[in-house]
Amino acid sequence: MTISNTPMIEMEVLPDSKWRTALRDRPLLVLGIVLIALVIATAIIEPRYLSVSGLRNTVLIAAPLGIMAAAQTILMLTGGIDLSVGMIATAAAYVAGNQSPNGAGIAIVLGLLVGVVAGSINGVGVGIFRVNPLIMTLAMSAILLGLFTALSFTVLQGSTTVAQFIKTIGGGSFLGNRVPYNALVWAAVSVLIIYGLRRTGLGRLLYAVGDNPIAVRLAGIRIWQVQIAAYAIAGLLAALAGILLAGRTGAVDLQLAVNFLLPSVAAAVIGGTSIFGGIGSYSGTILGALILGVLTTMLTFLDAGQAIQQIVYGGIVLGLAWLYARVTGTS
Amino acid sequence: MTAETAAPSTRFDWSTWLRRRGWTAGVWVLLLLMIVWYSVLIPKFGGFQIASISKNSLPLVYLAIGQAVIVIAGGIDLSVGAMLILSNSIAAQLMFEQPFAVTLAIAVLVILIGAVINGVVGWIITVSRVPDIVVTLATSFILSGAALLVLPSPGGGTSEGFRAMFTGSTTGSGSNFWPSLVAIAIPMTLAAWWMKNTRTGLSLYATGSSPIAAYLSGVPTRRAKIVSYAVGGGFSALAGLSALAITGSGESRAATGSLFTLRSVAAIVLGGVALTGGIGSVVGAAAAGIILFTLSPILSAMGIDPNTAQVVQGVLIVVVMMVAGIIELRRQRAG
Repeated sequence: MTISNTPMIEMEVLPDSKWRTALRDRPLLVLGIVLIALVIATAIIEPRYLSVSGLRNTVLIAAPLGIMAAAQTILMLTGGIDLSVGMIATAAAYVAGNQSPNGAGIAIVLGLLVGVVAGSINGVGVGIFRVNPLIMTLAMSAILLGLFTALSFTVLQGSTTVAQFIKTIGGGSFLGNRVPYNALVWAAVSVLIIYGLRRTGLGRLLYAVGDNPIAVRLAGIRIWQVQIAAYAIAGLLAALAGILLAGRTGAVDLQLAVNFLLPSVAAAVIGGTSIFGGIGSYSGTILGALILGVLTTMLTFLDAGQAIQQIVYGGIVLGLAWLYARVTGTS
Repeated sequence: MTAETAAPSTRFDWSTWLRRRGWTAGVWVLLLLMIVWYSVLIPKFGGFQIASISKNSLPLVYLAIGQAVIVIAGGIDLSVGAMLILSNSIAAQLMFEQPFAVTLAIAVLVILIGAVINGVVGWIITVSRVPDIVVTLATSFILSGAALLVLPSPGGGTSEGFRAMFTGSTTGSGSNFWPSLVAIAIPMTLAAWWMKNTRTGLSLYATGSSPIAAYLSGVPTRRAKIVSYAVGGGFSALAGLSALAITGSGESRAATGSLFTLRSVAAIVLGGVALTGGIGSVVGAAAAGIILFTLSPILSAMGIDPNTAQVVQGVLIVVVMMVAGIIELRRQRAG
């Protein structure tokens, strides 16, 4: 470090570098700029987008993704990852749809319960038995898919449409059709998570476990308890996202949220959460989810066909991750 | 690797061999036991059943080998499945109603395309310093989108000779199992030999085991990473070709790709490759690939329906990993 001191000072003089330092200190600013740029680009493609209903649609798309990405963020902070969020969300939504004739309350509670149980099992596997998170959640995803496909012919036969209340919170809006209800749920979840990560013991432990597990263990913390809690919370959040998603589409099937897995990881990564743990914040993830929401809307407007949409989506996710790594100097 | 050359006169040391190759050997024994079990379960076990297992497990075996090479070098590729469907689509489109010689040339071309694309992905990872998982996640979108562009709806085809080369039959179904066994053995042996006996192959192990130590000892770590991705891409493309030979037509469903990616990761871990890099062999990964495939015919022979079989398969993978975790924990506490 001392050797490269001279060129470093020279770089400081450059105005470009000042700009860059400012960005490095405030990575959220970069994401905000990208978000605004994307909104403007979308508005150029389709001028009608810059209206209440256009922006409302983006939030409607981003909210379930943002909540699912919250699950991913929490786990990535601990150095884990959950490849079963998509399937947990689907399973929870399926149960909620099936129980809808018994009332929305029971449907939602049972749906969330599915998420907590599946998440806790993930946590036990990772925390106690030291199974690699990739493998554990991968297997959980396969188990849930097989289980629910089998159950859909027997116990879970029947209703595949969700109760009116779930439809309202998942797809409805208030204030004269301006603000979607699911944004309200997302906002509440966001406040809880941001507060929880910053101010509570568990929140700080999540960072600590991801940053330096050995130090945490030597400090007398039982890491497995933290991990089980993290995976259970992640399961709960995934289930919530699945139920909101079911409310938006109105019906459930076993493919409902499967396509949300990769975007949920992408939202957290774009938001600056390190996949190796210990670094990141949920505010970044929120911006990441919004960016992906605008991107989805933009690609729909372009009407380019699914193939081109996927290529552009992948390209932009890669580009943003690259830009972020470049600007902040972290990986 | 060096034990053989260091002391040729000493007698064979079983405990060292077990420690070094125990997991790989165990996986092959497990595979053998499973096949024996399968042969007892079903009324008639002959060439047709062997061919059915060996040819249908080809795509997963190739993917597992490719993934193993990448993971041993310290990476992980979540786009191998997308590469499979891309190469499958390109080959199905180009090979349709072509004679055998032309399809063979196209096959070589497709493998090269896979290697070059994934080499570029490896280069992006080394240059951007974005984690492997993130980059390959993004490229999996790009590759499966490209596959959809090449082959919008299932179709295309290949020559009969090309199908026979992988499956032993011009229709893709028969009782001649030798070609598919050879199709497993040759790439596996080549990859294993290359990994353990060449300078580049060993640099992959060194890079995966400790990138900093490898770099300080003069190993070209960046090149090792790019090479591992290129080789992995080539094997993923080969997997796509074998899938084409089995079904006789191309398919570009993205869901198929992600399922294959997930299975390839499960296969290498079961095969004894550590996700932290530097440990394991392609031989173990290949066996685990066959095991993962063989589970489904065994479970269906036991009269378990496919959905429950999927649950059982998932539970089995987790249980094996748990046992491995406990063994590792005990070893750490003891040592």
